Amino acid sequence: MPPPVIEFRQVSKVFHSRFSEEYVAALTGVSFEVAPGEVCAFLGPNGAGKTTSISILMGFLLPDSGEVRVFDYAPGDVRAKSQIGFLPENFAFYKYLTGPQLLRFHMRLAGMSLQDADRRIAELLAMVRLNGYEKLKIGKYSRGMVQRLGIAQALLAGPQLLVLDEPTSGLDPAGRHEVLDWIAALRDQGKTVFLSSHILPEVEHICDRVVIIDRGRLLRIGSLQEMLRTGDQVEIVTDRLPDDVAVLTGCGATTAPVEHGVRIVAEAAHKREIAEMLWTAGCDVISINPVKSSLEDLFLKTVGGAQ
Amino acid sequence: MKVRAIARNTFSALLRNKLIILFCAGFACVVLLMLTPMLMMKSMAKTLSAGQTEGMVLSMVTGVMTLVSGFGSLLAIWASADSVTSEIKSGTVLAVMARPVRRWEFLLGKFLGVQMLMAIYVIAMLALSYLLVWLGGQQLRSSPLLMIIYPMIRYAVYSALAILLVTVMHPVVAFGCGLIVAVLASMVSPAAGHSVFPEAIRTALYVVLPSTGLLSEERFLSLTQTTLKDTPLTEHLIALGYGLDYALVCFLLAVLLFRKRALARE
Repeated sequence: MPPPVIEFRQVSKVFHSRFSEEYVAALTGVSFEVAPGEVCAFLGPNGAGKTTSISILMGFLLPDSGEVRVFDYAPGDVRAKSQIGFLPENFAFYKYLTGPQLLRFHMRLAGMSLQDADRRIAELLAMVRLNGYEKLKIGKYSRGMVQRLGIAQALLAGPQLLVLDEPTSGLDPAGRHEVLDWIAALRDQGKTVFLSSHILPEVEHICDRVVIIDRGRLLRIGSLQEMLRTGDQVEIVTDRLPDDVAVLTGCGATTAPVEHGVRIVAEAAHKREIAEMLWTAGCDVISINPVKSSLEDLFLKTVGGAQ
Repeated sequence: MKVRAIARNTFSALLRNKLIILFCAGFACVVLLMLTPMLMMKSMAKTLSAGQTEGMVLSMVTGVMTLVSGFGSLLAIWASADSVTSEIKSGTVLAVMARPVRRWEFLLGKFLGVQMLMAIYVIAMLALSYLLVWLGGQQLRSSPLLMIIYPMIRYAVYSALAILLVTVMHPVVAFGCGLIVAVLASMVSPAAGHSVFPEAIRTALYVVLPSTGLLSEERFLSLTQTTLKDTPLTEHLIALGYGLDYALVCFLLAVLLFRKRALARE
């Protein structure tokens, strides 16, 4: 098994007020790993400790205890950072630079050769739909344009790991879709993506693994497939309900109309009994599937349960 | 390449810093007002002897240059303190430090960016001193090299000191502390004459604080060539070496303290 790209081991961080005895436990014994090639969603309500974790991961903050490894290096180590593309939340840029100037500056910081800089910059700007704005100062950019430029700079050096803090914030629906498509394409290229987001239905389509934290504590971690499968319930879709629904009532099944028929949700143990009853009654069974909850349901249950 | 990129970017940012532009513009107005007595001096030249005129021009130039030079120290302190903290406050430091850039490389880039600004200031200062002397109907014979190197080293000391202070305190407090250091350093210098401090304290402060008297180019401000000839090379080397040494110690301490500084908002 390849070593994890990101490793948090019992990481704790407490913020102290400078002028009083007050303190806030931002992270308490958080442990998780992200394997190579995974798209890992880092979820939690506001103030959960997501940005603190990302700041520790990038070496901007030091943990009070515990250990963090990135590509098996300490956070902030240039050998690790040379493999990371990072998009901070509320990305701040030098307003007096233009998009190409900023990307060129970041190429220099990344130690990249400037020989082919113009072509690479033009490619990236076209990808994030900022071509045509080459002469515009970043100070005049809209919020969405700044975010797109941020994504371009994160992808600039062809990183192995992308750390994206709210990558779709400030983008219109089309822009959000584009970002998700880029992330999916990066996953297909074998890159690792670690992203935090509030827009859960979007994340659900692209992530393999979910880490949920709240109030600095790890609440849940696992693959998305496993988490969303409830396991003990099935969903049967039929074209209509039989005249006699006594079997359904007896099984404790619930029914709800859907577009092309009726959706029946029941315990998995009653699946055969219900299906046979529907066939006998002349109903057409369209599908039988295990019931899956949405990431949003799971998130709300997890966070709500913890509170 | 990384340090150079950060230095150039810092320099660009400083040239656009509204506060610095405002102060420089205000200061330029004050200097222009001070040119008036120099113009009057030219008309009075006929009634005074050559020695008297030379002495008066030199004292006027020295006065203006002391002011300009003092303002340069404040500029170096403020620009250094602000260039580091503004990046942290605005969050632009996050994208920079996410690149394979070491913390000392970031600080060195900032320091060099400020020195680029100060180099322009020193050249402008030198041009001003030539202008003043010319307006007074005299000729400046001081070595331009010394008039550039000495203030540059002095500003490097103040820059490094400001970067050190700003790693542990708010930039305004760091600026205040830098200002106090600059004033105290000039007060305890042997060139300042009678000191308000008891001798032991004055000596202690003179040892601890940067010796701006020693690093003052005004020592070599001359309308004749005699002073320059009188200063041996070893004295220059000792003075400049002392300044560089002080700046280096401050910078290394800043690097040490900056290693654990939070770059993201807590």
